[in-house]
Amino acid sequence: MATKLNARDAKTMKRIGEMADGVVEAAGKKRDPFVDVPTRSLSNVKYNKARRFIEMGKATNRRHLFNLSQAKSYMQTMLVASGATQLIEQGKTTSIRGLFYLLKHTIEGTKEETFADQGECDPVIEDCEVLLNSLREELHLYAQKKGDMVGDIVLLDRGDEIDCSRMGSGGYGIPSIVEPEAIEFKRTSAQFILHVEKDTVWQRFNEDKFWRKHKCILTHGGGQPPRGVRRLLHRLHNELKLPIYCLLDNDPWGYYIYSVIKQGSINLAYESQRMAIPDAKFLGIRSKDFEECKLSDSVKISLNDTDRKRAKQIANYPWFAHKPLWQKEIKRLLDNGFKLEVEALISKDISYVTEHYTPQRLKSKEWLD
Amino acid sequence: MATPNVESPAPVGSNGSSNGNGAVVARPRRRATAQSMAAGQRDISVSEFFAKNRHLLGFDNPRKALLTTVKEAVDNALDACEEAGILPEIWVHIQRVGQDRYKVGVQDNGPGILKKQIPLIFGKLLYGSKFHRMRMSRGQQGIGISAAGMHGLLTTGKPVKIMSKVSRRESAHYYEIQIDTKRNLPEILNGRGEGVEIPPNGLGEKLIEKHGIEWEETVEHGTRVTIELEARYQRGRGSVDEYLEETAIANPHVAIHYTDPDDDKRDYSRVTDQLPPEPKEIKPHPYGVELGRLVTMVHDTAAPTIAQFLIGSFSRVSAAIAKRLCDAAKISPRANPKKVGRQEADQLYQAIQKTKIPAPSTDCIVPIGEELILKGLRQVVPGEFYAAATRPPAVYRGNPFQIEVGLAYGGASPVARVSREGLAELLEESDARTLRQFLISSFQGLGADAADKILASANVGIRISPAKLKSADVDRLHQALQSVNISEGQSMNVLRYANRVPLQFQAGACAITQTVMGTNWRSYGLNQSRGSLPGGPVTVMVHMASVWVPFTNESKEAIASYPEIQKELRLALQSVGRKLGMYLRRRLHVRHEGQRRQIFLRYLGEVASAVSRINKTDRDKLYDQLLEVAKKSTAKADLELDDRGKPIEATEDFGDNVIIVEPPAAATQAAKP
Repeated sequence: MATKLNARDAKTMKRIGEMADGVVEAAGKKRDPFVDVPTRSLSNVKYNKARRFIEMGKATNRRHLFNLSQAKSYMQTMLVASGATQLIEQGKTTSIRGLFYLLKHTIEGTKEETFADQGECDPVIEDCEVLLNSLREELHLYAQKKGDMVGDIVLLDRGDEIDCSRMGSGGYGIPSIVEPEAIEFKRTSAQFILHVEKDTVWQRFNEDKFWRKHKCILTHGGGQPPRGVRRLLHRLHNELKLPIYCLLDNDPWGYYIYSVIKQGSINLAYESQRMAIPDAKFLGIRSKDFEECKLSDSVKISLNDTDRKRAKQIANYPWFAHKPLWQKEIKRLLDNGFKLEVEALISKDISYVTEHYTPQRLKSKEWLD
Repeated sequence: MATPNVESPAPVGSNGSSNGNGAVVARPRRRATAQSMAAGQRDISVSEFFAKNRHLLGFDNPRKALLTTVKEAVDNALDACEEAGILPEIWVHIQRVGQDRYKVGVQDNGPGILKKQIPLIFGKLLYGSKFHRMRMSRGQQGIGISAAGMHGLLTTGKPVKIMSKVSRRESAHYYEIQIDTKRNLPEILNGRGEGVEIPPNGLGEKLIEKHGIEWEETVEHGTRVTIELEARYQRGRGSVDEYLEETAIANPHVAIHYTDPDDDKRDYSRVTDQLPPEPKEIKPHPYGVELGRLVTMVHDTAAPTIAQFLIGSFSRVSAAIAKRLCDAAKISPRANPKKVGRQEADQLYQAIQKTKIPAPSTDCIVPIGEELILKGLRQVVPGEFYAAATRPPAVYRGNPFQIEVGLAYGGASPVARVSREGLAELLEESDARTLRQFLISSFQGLGADAADKILASANVGIRISPAKLKSADVDRLHQALQSVNISEGQSMNVLRYANRVPLQFQAGACAITQTVMGTNWRSYGLNQSRGSLPGGPVTVMVHMASVWVPFTNESKEAIASYPEIQKELRLALQSVGRKLGMYLRRRLHVRHEGQRRQIFLRYLGEVASAVSRINKTDRDKLYDQLLEVAKKSTAKADLELDDRGKPIEATEDFGDNVIIVEPPAAATQAAKP
């Protein structure tokens, strides 16, 4: 049953094994077993100015088995670890949804489920990642895949050669695990990467063959990019030395997506060094564009209270706080009182965004950093 | 109506001389003259008065008449025994002699009554030893037993039968007495007005048989009174059974043998062989005397001077205080009381109110005592937690009094203890219109909510008449009584006592009930809505001991609300309440620990399996080890589980006079409801 483990899997297995041994040891000494889970919250992340991304602090939460409020999550942590062991031993991977079904069962003698729903399982998986200092893929897990790529690049995906310039209208679906073992870059002639927020905008660029004309790699992450997309961008940027430009909506959500790509996310702060791209640039859409591009009033979407609150929050992020241009940008958004989606540019002309807006901005190097 | 003013127009509808039509009405004819009226004016004898106003004495209805009769006889018996220094043993026998007719026999092992006193005690209202003295006793006025006899006579025409024996060697006396209500004097019916003498030998036995006297042979001395009356016997709230049960709680030195109309015998044995110390008789305290009484006392005294009168007739009046009183009243201390008029008496009265006089001595009160309250409660009320508190004596209006409180918590409710046959019998006897009413009136501490819950569970209609219930319905009702958890819907059961006598009626008017409701029981872990009795399986007994218990009326069913009494009541209730609160909190804690253990146990198996899947450790061994840790970390729950039934080391936390018992142990002694 157990296939030969590669070095990485062996390391992960060792870490899981150590945790399990800790339980046995504590029980042998009649002590209350516990695990120290690094805290995944804003309070425990730091912006590293030198490295220019978010890093995880040292705070941990101790999770006891014999504590009323922690007993269940302790049990769930052990379950996830055992599930990962099973996957690694059998050399298989599964989605987090799959793991949820693998581990979900009724606790003996009760009517209680080990996991009530996926939402209860996901944070425990993230806990396990930080606890075991192992990435999700090292636990043989992947998130639901979303995000596509086209462009002048040829890569090897688990042995299959993929030419991303010949992907038709659908593009290459970026898998969730894009580590070097899985994906290898063969060759590319691209000069930069253009990352757009979502599928519809990506389709426009792909249909207009923007990437061919401008020699670039075109990606989207379906809104907030999943780790696979972020990790791939990170690798492309660092290994192939390609600059990254982001074309996102002009709203707090768009700013946040940029922030995550550039600095890393709070929740996955422990993975920042493998994901954050401090050099990523914000190409648009800018809050000044309504006037600059002479858009019609009909494309405005009013800001609601949540938007305003979120915008102010983002303005206060340490990595934005000291950037006058960003402060101006966010202030202007608030002053405008409306937000703009990238699709708003279509109201000028269907291919305005691909033929005028983006090339102009790239040419004039007009972006936010 | 006010006298009409001459100058103002006559008010409409006043006692005017014109009707609506303005026609003049003829002057009313004089119906009677002063002379003719005088012919009808005469003395009203006390007996006549009470014969007409029997409800004042507790004979409002046949059911209560039976209770009052038993109660007066038992109270008198207990008083007599205690005064003589004899451990009381009481036999109560109720027989059904006809439709709505019962014969009540109460016998004691007291000192007996002298031949010449018997007719007066049982055949004359307001005759007794207790009224004129300031001493703690059950009876106060000397109305009770003779009124019971009078009631019997009026409803059945049968005389009161008394047999009394002073010692083993002397002859006993047997009397059949009826009361002459017009003259308030006894009439002896047997032995040509002389009664029958029963010698202590074989002849005596024959005579006893001949006259059909019931007599407990083993008793060397004592009194038996038998009254036949129209009555109704019904169990439940306000019944004879309840009275005797409650009496047993407050009188742990008394043994009661009770035979009910169904010939069921029940014994309440004594919990202690110690007689309560004899209460001292005290003189009245000046503060407790009203003007009228003062005038009478001054008039009746034999003391040569007013100062000596004050010193001699009142407690706590020293020569110095007497002088101060006289000075304040501007009367010479040497004045002759005979010459003190109403004016001076009034001045003296005012002076008493203004002068500071030490509080009366309180050694005249004999409380039951915390220890005996606990014992008494435990014998009769099943529970798991008992606490008692006796307050130091206090004074209201110059009368010393003392408050004691006992509390029992938990145990099966009377509802769950009733048997299937018992329930059927109760249903048959009940005169409640609906089942709901029946439940509420038959079981102590059962509220309307709980009754509804039981009926809903039994699936029988609320409005069905209890007597019409079918056998299958009774089965289901009985099932429901056993199974439905009514501890939430149950309200506190308050047992009230005055000088060891249970008070069974007019709870709402009584200072005790009012104070219990006014106490905040929520802070002691019970639930309680504002201004009502708290909920939960709690029984509280409250005893007021005093030389003069201030009843709200002559039927002696409720204590008047003097602020001093309420304050003492509140303090005593709070004292047991605090202990209950501690117990409940700890119990809650233990229960939480137990629940904690449950939660841990639930997950231990999962954890052990997961870990063994990871590192191939022995799952069962790990599980056992984790179980150990779980037990250790929830040790408190274990401690309680093991030690229940015994007093726990932590008893000192509660202070004195607390018992914690394992519930089933007490339940075995449970009496039928």
